[in-house]
Amino acid sequence: MTDLQTSEETSSQPREPTPDDETRIGVYVCHCGLNIAGTVNCEEVAEFAATLPQVVISKDTLYTCSDQGQEIIKNDIKEHNLNRVVVASCSPRLHEPTFRRTLEEAGLNKYLFEMANIREHCSWVHLHEKDKATEKAKDLVRMAVAKVARLQPQVESEVPIARKALIIGGGVAGIQAALDLADTGYKVYLVEKQPSIGGRMAQIDKTFPTMDCSICILAPKMSDAGRHPNIQLLTNSEVQEVQGYIGNFKAKVLKKPRYVADDCTACGDCTPVCPVTTPNEFDVGLATRHAIYTPFAQAVPSTFIIDRSLCLNKDNMITCDKCIKACERGAINFDMTPETVELDVGTIIVATGADVYDPASLVHYGYTKYPNVITSLEFERLINAGGPSGGHLIKPSDMQIPDTVAFIQCVGSRSERTGRLYCSNVCCMNTIKDSLLIKEHWPDTKIYVFYVDIRAYGKGFEDLYNRARKEGVIFIRGLPAEIIQDQKTSSLWLLGENTLEKEVYKVNADMVILSVGIEPTQDSDVTQRLLTLSKTSEGFFMEAHPKLRPVDTPTGGVFLAGCAESPKDIKDSVTQASAAAARAGILMAKGKVAVEAITPIIDPEKCQVCGLCARVCPYNAIIVDKERKITEVIEAACTGCGTCGAECPFGAITMRHFTDDQIYSQIDAATELDADRKVVAFCCNWCSYAGADFAGVSRMQYPTNVRVIRTMCSGRVAQRFVEHAFAKGTAAVLVAGCHLGDCHYINANYQTKRRIEKLWKKLERLGLNKDRLQLAWISAAEGEKFASKIKEMQSIVDDVTKEEIEKTVSLFQNGTGD
Amino acid sequence: MPLRLWRKPLDAEKITIPKGEVHIIKDRCKGCGFCVEFCPRDVLEISEEFNQRGVHPPKVKDESKCVLCGFCEAVCPDFAIFAVEKDCKGGC
Repeated sequence: MTDLQTSEETSSQPREPTPDDETRIGVYVCHCGLNIAGTVNCEEVAEFAATLPQVVISKDTLYTCSDQGQEIIKNDIKEHNLNRVVVASCSPRLHEPTFRRTLEEAGLNKYLFEMANIREHCSWVHLHEKDKATEKAKDLVRMAVAKVARLQPQVESEVPIARKALIIGGGVAGIQAALDLADTGYKVYLVEKQPSIGGRMAQIDKTFPTMDCSICILAPKMSDAGRHPNIQLLTNSEVQEVQGYIGNFKAKVLKKPRYVADDCTACGDCTPVCPVTTPNEFDVGLATRHAIYTPFAQAVPSTFIIDRSLCLNKDNMITCDKCIKACERGAINFDMTPETVELDVGTIIVATGADVYDPASLVHYGYTKYPNVITSLEFERLINAGGPSGGHLIKPSDMQIPDTVAFIQCVGSRSERTGRLYCSNVCCMNTIKDSLLIKEHWPDTKIYVFYVDIRAYGKGFEDLYNRARKEGVIFIRGLPAEIIQDQKTSSLWLLGENTLEKEVYKVNADMVILSVGIEPTQDSDVTQRLLTLSKTSEGFFMEAHPKLRPVDTPTGGVFLAGCAESPKDIKDSVTQASAAAARAGILMAKGKVAVEAITPIIDPEKCQVCGLCARVCPYNAIIVDKERKITEVIEAACTGCGTCGAECPFGAITMRHFTDDQIYSQIDAATELDADRKVVAFCCNWCSYAGADFAGVSRMQYPTNVRVIRTMCSGRVAQRFVEHAFAKGTAAVLVAGCHLGDCHYINANYQTKRRIEKLWKKLERLGLNKDRLQLAWISAAEGEKFASKIKEMQSIVDDVTKEEIEKTVSLFQNGTGD
Repeated sequence: MPLRLWRKPLDAEKITIPKGEVHIIKDRCKGCGFCVEFCPRDVLEISEEFNQRGVHPPKVKDESKCVLCGFCEAVCPDFAIFAVEKDCKGGC
């Protein structure tokens, strides 16, 4: 489901079936080449589908999503007068928008469509059980047909999109996105936590593979962003709260005081008189800064800042006035207070960047124990002419230029034992660049690079690698097992195995540079919660689709750029930033977006105005007027999670497109055959259904017993659905949602938890095995967890006796008097 | 993890910050302890000895920390403490 699908106005009026119209369903079973057909017998599934009630036509096609495949559907709609369509192929998260458009082009309302996910949830996860997979595919089609017959045409409402953007993070990605949007003509708020924009790129000396000076190419962009009439910089600021929805976000930004007014001319007279010092973060602690400072010469804004945690003046007591006296402009003002700025924006770009890995935990490399073991970021500051050593690569132990230098790759990356599992993407090329920089300044320096693999995959990268080898840089495959320091000279011995030569090495170096990896920022959890984003198991933000929507997030109107999404180099960050700006620009240019018609309708006849629905609504989108005896839904604030529908005890709420009736029909279809050997799973669209999709994409194999029913949120799963499944003789039921605290609908999954706990108590009270109902929190990245949950549930299914199932059926069929 | 700043900065020797020399006029002190309480660099502590007024005057705990902010002078109700800049030409 995408809420980004800005639907084009279709020329023809949607043809909506009247009640007299008999339901005429077309089913299309996709081979997807051999992706599905390699496991599932698609012809057999199509033949089976033709036998289902109200199915008029059933076909199997090679690639249903191709133009030809879609043409077939369009022709059939006209020729056979179809008014409902089922496509059995991949995940609706991938191609539902495609086929919905197909229906619209054929003049049918796009809500009269349903997908059976027989690829991610079937063929890919049951590769070696062809017969069982085919049976499962039939069940999935049966469920989809049952649901589609009950679907109703819907009309989407439109919400306006504010033509302003909020960009979180002022690194190169944030700056690029801000400039692109501002140049297009939109107002941009660029929020940066640090006193200056610039980010990591400002710290780096040269860029690979072109060896451009990093700050020289970044500084003009920084000052462009600083003086652009459409960009408002909010530095030393943090986003504290984001509310609202696509097109209409309300963000609260805390603007922390600088204690120096904007009339600061950045003359720097205040700094030398300041009596307190601390290591400068920008120089990775290699140089000192005062309490009043500017992080670096090219900082934007150039206004100085006072670090009040260091300054001698605490709270309201100002006694040390050295800086105040030194400032001719009188720009220093200790009376400044934090201020909260409220912004109304239509789109948000998250460009919060990344941290570097701290190698101190790798004891065998001796970082923080041996002075001459430094990180690659410290190296950047040392080799930088504006850095603490004026561009001289010096050993911290004696300030002398080293004769021999060793680089160690994959520090904190690609390791199951220490650090992170993933490749950090930039370290290989960064080291090659660094080795060439040393050769350029001090050609006689002997340079070793200890590596696992050299990944020179990009444009111009291999050339640079070859250049380094020609210059005499020695590449040795095999990371050192240990570094030992000579106590007298502080030089270092690197011991390890050369895995190409199959021999042990013992190399002496004056200085060792640890090529540290990239990791998610420490406060990425905060950003995640603010914007209800998903994270990969590695902790980077997850895109809506890894191939086709790589800068979108599952939250409509929120986009990603730079290292917040995954480790990447400057070029990729800039590319992604422009892409994110373009995606945000599309929304803002249109000025409106269609919201999915999945919001609830309240039947005033049945509603008792009890207010239970309003109490569970995470968005306060339901207004209960006890005096006038009416309950109303604020359409624009509602996101369609369905928690209210699950809560209503009177059946007064109809969740459009996910009605009780439709869900019951799916349960009935899933349990029609061999219910006692099946697991009925309710999965939320954003996390658990996506997690099951991820298990499919990763080809994780699990038993064929599970039948997944998709709801927007696990909060939609009413107790009566679970009871209905048990009444139908189901062996086990799984309810799966986002992790608590990560719910796409703020906190709706706490309702899920409450309801399942109630059901567990009820099962116990009835003398039933409560393990037959399982609750799992499965994120979109946890395919493995989904697969292992289903495996675990297989044993529950195996253990359930016939008697127990019969007992459950009779207890729940007769009603249990709640 | 945010960056670990563990190294002694390379320019630590070159940075000059003012050094103060603290003078206490013990017999003026009435032992309020404000100077000890408010010194942002934790230079002072209450001494064991008694002065003429029968109270414990402050004493210097670690003069090297004093950066001559003048805070003690400002808070002392009895004008019993002051600091002057140390002459560090020959090294301190």
